[in-house]
Amino acid sequence: MSLTDDDVLAAGPGPGPSRTGPAPDGEPLLEVQDLRVRFSRAGRHVHAVNGLSYRLEPGRMLAIIGESGSGKSVSSRALMGLLPSTAAVTGSARFAGTELVGMPEAQMRRRRGADIAMVFQDPARSLNPTMRIGTQVVEAVRAHSDMDRHAARRRAVELLSLVRLPVPEQRFAEYPHQLSGGMRQRVMIAIALAGEPRLLIADEATTALDVTTQAQIMELLVELQHRLGMAVIMISHDLGLAASYAQDVLVMYAGRGVEHASAETLFAHVRMPYTRALLGAIPLLERESHALLPVVPGQPPDLSALPVGCPFAPRCEFADEECGENPPFAEQEPGHRWACWHPVPDAVADPAPRGDRS
Amino acid sequence: MAVVDAGPALVEHAETPTARTRGRVGSLGLVLPAAVVALIALACFVGPLVLPVPPPIGGSVLESYLPAFSPGHLLGTDPNGNDILSRILSGGRSSLIVAVAVNLLGLLVGGTLGALSGFVGGVADTVIMRVLDVLIAFPSLVLTLAVAQSLGPSQTNTILALAFFSIPAFARISRAATLRLRELPFMASAVLCGTPGWRILLRHVAPNIAPQLITFGMLGMGIVIVIEGALSFLGLGIPPPAPSWGNMISQGQQSISATPMLVVWPSAVLFVTVLAFNLLGENLRARWSGR
Amino acid sequence: MTATDERPAQGEPLLRARGIVQQFPVRGAGGIKGGVVHAVSDVSFEVRAGETLGVVGETGSGKSTLARSVIQAPRPQSGEVHFRGTDLMRLRRRELVQARRHMQMVFQDPFGSLNPRWRVTELVEEPLVGYGVRGSAQREARVRELLDMVGLDPSVYGKRRPHELSGGQCQRVAIARAIALHPALVICDEAVSSLDVLIQAQVLNLFERLRTELGLSYLFISHDLALVKQVSDRVAVMHLGQLAEVGPADELYRRPLHPYTAALLDSIPGLDPETGRARRPRPLEGEAPSPLNPPSGCRFRTRCPLARPRCAEEEPVLREHTPDHQVACHFPLDAATRAS
Repeated sequence: MSLTDDDVLAAGPGPGPSRTGPAPDGEPLLEVQDLRVRFSRAGRHVHAVNGLSYRLEPGRMLAIIGESGSGKSVSSRALMGLLPSTAAVTGSARFAGTELVGMPEAQMRRRRGADIAMVFQDPARSLNPTMRIGTQVVEAVRAHSDMDRHAARRRAVELLSLVRLPVPEQRFAEYPHQLSGGMRQRVMIAIALAGEPRLLIADEATTALDVTTQAQIMELLVELQHRLGMAVIMISHDLGLAASYAQDVLVMYAGRGVEHASAETLFAHVRMPYTRALLGAIPLLERESHALLPVVPGQPPDLSALPVGCPFAPRCEFADEECGENPPFAEQEPGHRWACWHPVPDAVADPAPRGDRS
Repeated sequence: MAVVDAGPALVEHAETPTARTRGRVGSLGLVLPAAVVALIALACFVGPLVLPVPPPIGGSVLESYLPAFSPGHLLGTDPNGNDILSRILSGGRSSLIVAVAVNLLGLLVGGTLGALSGFVGGVADTVIMRVLDVLIAFPSLVLTLAVAQSLGPSQTNTILALAFFSIPAFARISRAATLRLRELPFMASAVLCGTPGWRILLRHVAPNIAPQLITFGMLGMGIVIVIEGALSFLGLGIPPPAPSWGNMISQGQQSISATPMLVVWPSAVLFVTVLAFNLLGENLRARWSGR
Repeated sequence: MTATDERPAQGEPLLRARGIVQQFPVRGAGGIKGGVVHAVSDVSFEVRAGETLGVVGETGSGKSTLARSVIQAPRPQSGEVHFRGTDLMRLRRRELVQARRHMQMVFQDPFGSLNPRWRVTELVEEPLVGYGVRGSAQREARVRELLDMVGLDPSVYGKRRPHELSGGQCQRVAIARAIALHPALVICDEAVSSLDVLIQAQVLNLFERLRTELGLSYLFISHDLALVKQVSDRVAVMHLGQLAEVGPADELYRRPLHPYTAALLDSIPGLDPETGRARRPRPLEGEAPSPLNPPSGCRFRTRCPLARPRCAEEEPVLREHTPDHQVACHFPLDAATRAS
């Protein structure tokens, strides 16, 4: 599989970077190749990530989409060295030329936050409830620089205003429980920015938030991406969210990449039946009340006993004998990679009747 | 750095698919102490009947202070000429009976009171918990001493006195567990199913708080054996000449410099037993909380 | 009790709530500083027989508390809850248990809503036992029938415990329990929110199928506007313990009258399934006020782009704007304001 990937990646980025953000210069910021993560416990092996490959250009926003157990979170935690000791990580993930897989913990600790920072789903649990938020941001600043207290404090206030926390000087002395969920997530982002990372991974960072707050935080991430020239990986289960904000989209299923393209290309020309199924299953404002959703039977495969061949085949309406062999995740149209023997042609690619909302 | 600090804690809640595949974690840690406990119980309850040991009391003074490995007395004899091994086995029987009875009383009475208190709430909760608070607030050893003193030393009275300890403790734990359980939707769901309150207590609450209570009981076993020893040491537990590990240690201490083995043997067995119970409790807890 | 044993004719309200108030005292730091959470403040609505009323709202809007108030767990501080003609607020405990037989609930957390130590068959049997269905053979047959109905093979899943099931399967078990006693109303409190999108679609379709097959009415509570649109005939938008707008689903989504509804609709990321083009949300400014200390007058005014002085002085009441479409706003978004 890695062979084909080499060829694909050599072909460079596809078309469709026309959306916002700095244009890719061809040199990837992050290049993941054949990444595998296996959890072992009491003799059972759970294959959470199975040969994932993708590349991310500097300054772009990539959405990694998938359901629970698709490996979207695990693969990103593997980059940060944040997996428990039961996980075995193999393959390669090069960040600006440096190999992250197998990096010693001491070295990884120095790079965490400075190269790649991460924001999690639950801002209430990510912040220390007994510390003032200002102190927590100051600590993060001082962990990445040798600033004295005053400089660090100034920088912390700066970061808090960068993430648009209202009246940061005043909020400085408050405790996490005094902030709303959205404000806590802003503080988490400020902490993540303290090391001036070149890549920010937002792991379901808006999932726990209300829809109005979610829109605010996503706008903030897009703004920071442009202002700081930072690349962003947003991990989400929400295709609509990915379509609205990301420039590139990678769809994962059972620990593999199954479709990867720019957001425009991908959503206009869905090829992988799984992506199409996901799109069809989202409730849409455009649909009639009580309309039945197109349903994919069954459940995602058991990651401790993966089927041979395409993992989606048992649930796929197009599956035949050919799917018993694993399809390569290769560039099959310019800038559009997918892993399927029977890609969906354009005409069939719309899962729902058109509706209107003005 | 806060971002990184938050990492490992969150990994636990992440979508790692290992959550449901958690298997037999540390089953050796469970089997080993359980086997030790079973062995000790077997030895204490069945041992004196089948092993060629003399009775624990009524020995001849002529045979006092025999060293270990004397013929017919594997561990030697005490100042009264009683076989030490035999006394350890019979004493273990008293100690284990007291420990099991005290914890069982605590589990049943305290567990029920706590579950009722947490489940019913309101005035009943306040009354039950305040009464138990008073018991907890009272210096426990003094209370136990007072009860044991007024009832007089006997095995039953030792159990009753120590139950004053265990019942409030079990009740506290049971109530806290029940309150946590009450927040879960399946309790509301059971109410909507028309399930009557007593049935909810019996079928929903009890099986879900039982693991916590049993674990606590295991940890409590060791504590009760030690306190029973302390009571006996003060002459308020199992009345001599009937042996218990506690009163054997207490009697042996009088001549500890001359014959240290009189203290060492029962202490060693007590130590192993308490350790086994604690390990069992600890591993049970780890296992049940892993679910 | 004859009133509760007949189903009202189509169109008649099955459930009619009037002026529900639910408040909770809270303790501040150290338990000294007291306050009151205005979880539900004077809410009135009705669910007609055979229809699905969707309730949307953000965290802290009181939508779950509203559901709990309907089933009287806990009882609201004041108000009336008429279910099939009987005011549940005035029933004694035993009568309430009987009345609730026809009103069931499906909760958000698929694992938390099932006792982890029970087997699937026992779980589905519980309501049958609770409401005195006699004969274990009869109950067993009914359990099989119910499991078949929700798409779980009894011979495969009957003996399993919740932790041996997936989230979607757990939710199917919860649904089997809910429909076991032929309820007239099923309250779904974020019932599919924790499920993955493909599984969510399966469960949503199951809800739809049961609705047509069993003639169920739903009170469908969710934070997801698109989801609520999908399943509802009418939709109620809840904001900080009050109803902002109630109306037919299509109309409410196409022509929202309340600025809050419009803001919510603007906040959801969307995707045109045909062209693949995304609809970028336009976020609302500011933070939601606390239900501990709601603003005077209209509770949305602090974030409302159209707020005027009157909004701070006078609390708007829910009133009919167009037939069957109610709004609680002094300056609803009608054709004139929308044009400007």
